[in-house]
Amino acid sequence: MLKQLSRSDLEQLLEAVAKNYALQVPQLLADGTRQLGPYDNAELSLSGQPLQRKPTSYFFPQTELLLTLDAAGNVQQPPPAEKPLALFGMDRTDLAALTFLDQFFMAPPADDIYLHRRLNALLIGLTGDAGPDSSFLPLADDGCDIELIAINQKWLALGHSEAGKSLLRKFNDGDDKQLVTLRKASRDQPSDLLQQASQLLHDDLVPDAFWEEIADRCILCSGCNLACPTCSCFCLQDRQTPNGTERSRVWDSCQLDAFMREASGHNPLGTEALRTRRRIHHKLVADVERWGELGCVACGRCDRACPTGIGMFAVAEEMVERFGLRS
Amino acid sequence: MHQPARNQQSIYAPRPCRLLSVTELTPNEKLFRLQLCDKTELQHQPGQFVQISIPGLTEAPISVASSPTRKGYFELGIRKAGQLTSALHRLQAGAQIGIRGPFGRPFQLDALDGKALLLIAGGCGLAPLRSLIQYCQDRSDEFASVQIFYGARSPEDLMFQQDLSDWQSSHNFSCRYTVDNKPATSCFDGETGLITNLMNDIQVEAENCCAVIVGPPPMYHPVIASLRQLGLNKPKQIMLSLERQMRCGVGKCGHCSIEHLTCCCDGPIFWLEEVEHLRGAL
Ligand SMILES: Cc1cc2nc3c(=O)[nH]c(=O)nc-3n(C[C@H](O)[C@H](O)[C@H](O)COP(=O)(O)OP(=O)(O)OC[C@H]3O[C@@H](n4cnc5c(N)ncnc54)[C@H](O)[C@@H]3O)c2cc1C
Ligand code: SF4
Ligand code: SF4
Repeated sequence: MLKQLSRSDLEQLLEAVAKNYALQVPQLLADGTRQLGPYDNAELSLSGQPLQRKPTSYFFPQTELLLTLDAAGNVQQPPPAEKPLALFGMDRTDLAALTFLDQFFMAPPADDIYLHRRLNALLIGLTGDAGPDSSFLPLADDGCDIELIAINQKWLALGHSEAGKSLLRKFNDGDDKQLVTLRKASRDQPSDLLQQASQLLHDDLVPDAFWEEIADRCILCSGCNLACPTCSCFCLQDRQTPNGTERSRVWDSCQLDAFMREASGHNPLGTEALRTRRRIHHKLVADVERWGELGCVACGRCDRACPTGIGMFAVAEEMVERFGLRS
Repeated sequence: MHQPARNQQSIYAPRPCRLLSVTELTPNEKLFRLQLCDKTELQHQPGQFVQISIPGLTEAPISVASSPTRKGYFELGIRKAGQLTSALHRLQAGAQIGIRGPFGRPFQLDALDGKALLLIAGGCGLAPLRSLIQYCQDRSDEFASVQIFYGARSPEDLMFQQDLSDWQSSHNFSCRYTVDNKPATSCFDGETGLITNLMNDIQVEAENCCAVIVGPPPMYHPVIASLRQLGLNKPKQIMLSLERQMRCGVGKCGHCSIEHLTCCCDGPIFWLEEVEHLRGAL
């Protein structure tokens, strides 16, 4: 289903969504960066820099209450949210990251805590001329209920799910020919740098000395992991409250020494070099083995977050340059 | 996305258990006998583990040390290693704790059927292995023979001493143990030396043999080398249990990953050939 929306149609659509969902929309911050925030009266930012904070954190937040235990050992589950979430403004990489997390948390046994937030949530992707200075962002073509494709101050609207289609029903039809052109433009985009890096690692062509060199540059801030929309590691935390013990999960980082250290002192990731290798290897090789696809969706957040310039793309580039086949 | 039943228990919700008895095994290890408060069986298989929950201290993974063939209770042999395990050591019979599980891939019993078994444990590893040993005791006609090898640091670190002597006299069983060091003052008159010393002079028909190893990380390489020497060179002849930090037990928290595998779901019991090529696995 393809529709075409004017600015006022778009506002009507969001208004309708906000009736039944806790809607989050892209907003411009004073420093020029963009973030998702609550819809109420917010001024929409419909193009610009990628969203600074990973939108997946709405479904897998930094700290999340799992349950409360009372003195008798009774378990109380947190109450369900009043309204399901709706997120507007995710680009192709953000949507791909969420699809990846869905697959991860839904693998049996399904993570009910994640599921209760994710289930019934509505996703409205934003692609097309929605990048910095209205530059072109490739279409997602999946992974959301509605995809809004910005083109000439209007939006082509693709309904992917039943919920999305029914929200779009009342709007005017769009021009399929335009979509064909946009899809073609989207295909020209992806770079194969990550694939090449993945292959090098898979074939064991990257020496340990490389990881030591990269690790020497790391300041162990864990920003790469915390910024990454496909990172899913967490630890548990208990907090005593008047109602009992609140057990939460909190994001964790494989770049930290304590990540795998056991009570005996044994630590399978006991050096910075091993941990740095793990950060890259896990996404480029282990995830491919496990899930059939790269665990990196190429969003660029870790490269922007890393204070010393050793995010995923920087490392992949260096790896391919030094150990790749020269043509 | 399919909808889970709303009233279903969360995968993170512990179930209440009653502590039936606590027995001291060594100065650092105790045996805890437990029963689920609803009086149902745990329904575990040998080699599986539970997540023990103590409010305020989160959780720790502990292998079940008793066989499912022994009904009405399950046992955990626990070393005092840190905060949560120390708190457990302070508990007495009658106390209530929470558990989740059983979790993980168990010992592959099908593959052990009819085989001559070499069951090898180091240190605290005897606790998980005991679930299999008891199972073999209770189903002794399913196995050609059972040879147990156990190594501890010193005489006072030998766990399950009563069991060790029972196993020596069980039908089809043999059981040998050794300590790394014996203090000059000790009256211990058993064997000393590394566990691999016990395995140098044994006679096996390698073809029909299956070995199971549960021990601290430094034990794996030398024991595997000894088993290779004995002729256990085929796939599905050596099974081992790997330990990692675990927070969730259900494959989500990431702490126990070994390359693309998770120790809590794909393991903790693995065939050697599944993990020996993976970096940092052994
Ligand atoms: C599958 C499995 C089976 C185990 N079976 C037994 C057993 O039968 N008997 C026994 O005494 N011990 C066993 N352990 C080790 C036991 O889990 C740790 O000794 C225990 O977690 C230490 O917790 P603590 O709070 O006392 O120590 P702290 O050092 O205070 O640990 C804090 C937290 O770190 C994590 N952690 C630390 N060390 C380990 C570790 N070695 N393994 C896993 N998580 C760790 C836990 O989440 C723990 O709550 C097993 C571990 C695994 C993975
Ligand atoms: S680019 Fe970095 S932050 Fe983005 S998905 Fe890949 S590893 Fe994660
Ligand atoms: S963001 Fe960069 S410096 Fe910080 S932990 Fe990650 S790799 Fe190291």
